Amino acid sequence: MDFPRILTGNWEVPDVHRIAVARTRGTYSRLPKALGMAPSEITALVKDSGLRGRGGAGFPTGVKWGFVPPAEKRGGKAVYLLCNADESEPGTFKDRYLMWCDPHLLIEGMIIASRALDCHLGYIYIRGEFRYIARRLDEALAEAYAAGLLGKNIQGSGHHFDLYVHVGAGAYICGEETALISSLEGERGQPKLKPPFPAVEGAWRSPTIVNNVETLAVVPWLIENGAAAYKAIGTEKSPGTKLFSVSGHVRRPGVYEVPLGIPMTQFIEEQCGGLLPGRTLKAVIPGGSSVPVMTPDEVAKCSMDYESISQNAGSYLGSGGFIVMDDTTDLVEALTNLLRFYAHESCGQCTPCREGCGWMYQILCRVRDGDANVQDLATLRDLADNIHSKTICFFGASAAMPVQSFLTKFRSEFLDRVQGRGAGAA
Amino acid sequence: MPKVKINDTEIEVPAGTNMIEAAKLAGVEIPHYCYHPHLSVAGNCRMCMCESVTPRGSVLEIACNMQAREGLAIRTDTDQVKAVRKSVMEFLLVNHPLDCPICDQSGECRLQDYYMDHGQYDSRGLEPKVSKHKRQDIGDHIVLDAERCVQCSRCERFGDEVTGTGDLRLMNRGDHTEIGMFPGTRLEHDYQGNLADICPVGALTSKDFRFERRVWYLRETAGLCTGCATGCNIQVCHQDGEVFRYLPRRNDDVNKSWICDPGRDLHKRVGSLERILRARVDGSPCTTAQAELATRIRAAGNRVGFVLGTQASLEANWALIQLARGNCPEARFFWVSGNDGDAIEKSDHLLMDIDKNANTAGVQLLAEWVGNVGDTDALREADLALLIVLEDDIVSRLNGGALPELAYFGSRENATSAQASLVIPVTHPAEMDATYVNRQGRVQRNRRATNPLGEAAPAYAALEKLGTALGKAPGTGLPVATFLSLARAVPRLAGLDYKVLGNTGRLLAPPVAEAK
Repeated sequence: MDFPRILTGNWEVPDVHRIAVARTRGTYSRLPKALGMAPSEITALVKDSGLRGRGGAGFPTGVKWGFVPPAEKRGGKAVYLLCNADESEPGTFKDRYLMWCDPHLLIEGMIIASRALDCHLGYIYIRGEFRYIARRLDEALAEAYAAGLLGKNIQGSGHHFDLYVHVGAGAYICGEETALISSLEGERGQPKLKPPFPAVEGAWRSPTIVNNVETLAVVPWLIENGAAAYKAIGTEKSPGTKLFSVSGHVRRPGVYEVPLGIPMTQFIEEQCGGLLPGRTLKAVIPGGSSVPVMTPDEVAKCSMDYESISQNAGSYLGSGGFIVMDDTTDLVEALTNLLRFYAHESCGQCTPCREGCGWMYQILCRVRDGDANVQDLATLRDLADNIHSKTICFFGASAAMPVQSFLTKFRSEFLDRVQGRGAGAA
Repeated sequence: MPKVKINDTEIEVPAGTNMIEAAKLAGVEIPHYCYHPHLSVAGNCRMCMCESVTPRGSVLEIACNMQAREGLAIRTDTDQVKAVRKSVMEFLLVNHPLDCPICDQSGECRLQDYYMDHGQYDSRGLEPKVSKHKRQDIGDHIVLDAERCVQCSRCERFGDEVTGTGDLRLMNRGDHTEIGMFPGTRLEHDYQGNLADICPVGALTSKDFRFERRVWYLRETAGLCTGCATGCNIQVCHQDGEVFRYLPRRNDDVNKSWICDPGRDLHKRVGSLERILRARVDGSPCTTAQAELATRIRAAGNRVGFVLGTQASLEANWALIQLARGNCPEARFFWVSGNDGDAIEKSDHLLMDIDKNANTAGVQLLAEWVGNVGDTDALREADLALLIVLEDDIVSRLNGGALPELAYFGSRENATSAQASLVIPVTHPAEMDATYVNRQGRVQRNRRATNPLGEAAPAYAALEKLGTALGKAPGTGLPVATFLSLARAVPRLAGLDYKVLGNTGRLLAPPVAEAK
């Protein structure tokens, strides 16, 4: 496969996290051009490239930037740029590698984005467990400040941009953009009601753009190579490359950059090295633990892009957390494990999610232990339906979709359990 | 004003009106826990979900986060909405202790009410319930049971937005989310009782009212708090002549939905041991006190003074003025400013005014109308033989100095009643219809909740009786008629009557000079 390695190109370069090495690889070389462009030109470029948010929702990045009200309609309020480095979706671990291996690429992307957004203050909100990465980012920021790439009048362009790292406390929900904002503001990390949307009223009630690490890291390449070059990669509606975090029963788990749109089976065979010897595929979660699970039949039909996965499997590309499960997996156990996570991480704000996640987990524990009956499965399904899209943020749906999809697509495994025949039994 | 549609009713409401309020105006009740008209929108209980009807189809949305705009249409009566309400009730109750028989909120609990209206499912809750902290003493007025809480965050927002104390906080996550206080802290503000009121369930209950009476036995009467010049609107809750509690009564222009704790405690004065229940002459109970007073007034000739009462109603002061004018044309009027000896001591920028008299503005209004009303100094200098005092505790207000013989129309014992040679019992405001003018100049109506205790009568009625004994009654036997004659006579009250005042009162017309 021949494609430009937009995100991972520098990962194997020793010491590329040092600015001197990074510069030899072209990092920051796109700044003069970007700072010479009008902000609206940069936004138009990103819009034209078709770049979609890599945090999970896949919303077009340029369109999101376009939601920030123009200066005359902001009433003197500042615009904030927040990098979502909370990366808390189970099965997702791409951003941590990106920030660890190539922090300057992210910083360059944020400087360019700040120019496009007329923004002068940004934060990288990073999850509490990533303290070691936060330290590396801090070092990189110090180098960038020393080189005059951050702060006042960057490279004589007249553009100011200050950037800080803010370490969260490690709550899953703080990866949700409005909860991230609450947490950054010093409040309890809880999602806020929308509307108003953050682009209009976000951090400190000012226009705020929250972008994923991977999304921002693509921006320098767009400046250098243009929108058309990006659109040439991937599919029409899912252009570009994407990082996939592969975990589970494959020979080579890890982070892979591939053009969107390659067949899923090819991805498993070529990038991931195929399944472990003698095993057969049972299920794949393609986009982080929250998205509906896929059956082997669906895997065979799908390619690695937003449209194919939603059309052929009713699932989502999400954050690219690609979890492969082979025939040794006990899916009841797997779902119970997932729900343990959601029951623990629900912020506790909205009634259905707060009470429902714990309830679903308890029922699943009984199913797993053989103490449940068919009626409990019906209750479980019903609870998931009653949580899905009845809450302030997407967490409710994220907890409900695994339950709904596992129960639908692998119903027999659950029926076996409630009828007293456990996994592994004859 | 934009037109919105709720189910099949079209209604015009001001732009931006919260859709829960708009629906109320259209006669549709949208159930809710976390929404409160005087707090910010939290949107977490999910009980108010309804279908927003758009050209592209219906979307489930929470009504509390929808503001009225032209063409907005919602439906609250669809199967989907009914199903959501039922499921929210199921979620809310799955970890609720269901201890209604021993819960003080029973009878005014939204969990109970909405379960009957929107729940009515067969329980599927087989799992053990989450345990939380119970019976927590978190303040002088409030007990917290975290297990009963529905995490609506109203109390948290009250602390953040009304008192600014930020004391109650939601802690932990998921179904272990629990409301509580920071370790070692207690509620310190003077508005704690409101927490029990806004709590839609039995999590926050009032120490004062707990276990006193089941609420379904109580009757509610629209009254006024007479603890200070703010004139907070209250609901007097009573049964068989006994007052059990005051609750705030919503008046967006006066007290929103709140009252202070000292004011709330004033319900204890209605049946307190300090009440004056019998007339006394020279320290002994006397059944002919009014006749005796008439005799002494005649004996005093033109050396009689009348003290208007800032604690007394408009009607009572009007009765005093009419009585004096009809029977003692030479008599002088006085007004002793200041607070009574047993007045609430606190004041703040919210509701507790530094002036602890319910009707200072009313007395001012009548004093302007009468003209030549003497102040404290004038009273000290006046050569009087008898002073008729209406409710105000002038002895403690004057704080010493010689006074003539006192005749006191009062409801509770104080320094003035102790010094007065004639004491006539009058009613507590909970026992009479009357009007007061608050610090904003708002004329507000107080309704009679219970029967007068002992021999007490409303001051205007007692003065009517005295006037009869003197030969010329002031015509103030009935409150409605008294207010009408008052409103006809005093230009700034023109056009007002009890019906016009309604439950939220009316601002006084501006003084004539200003009106020009």
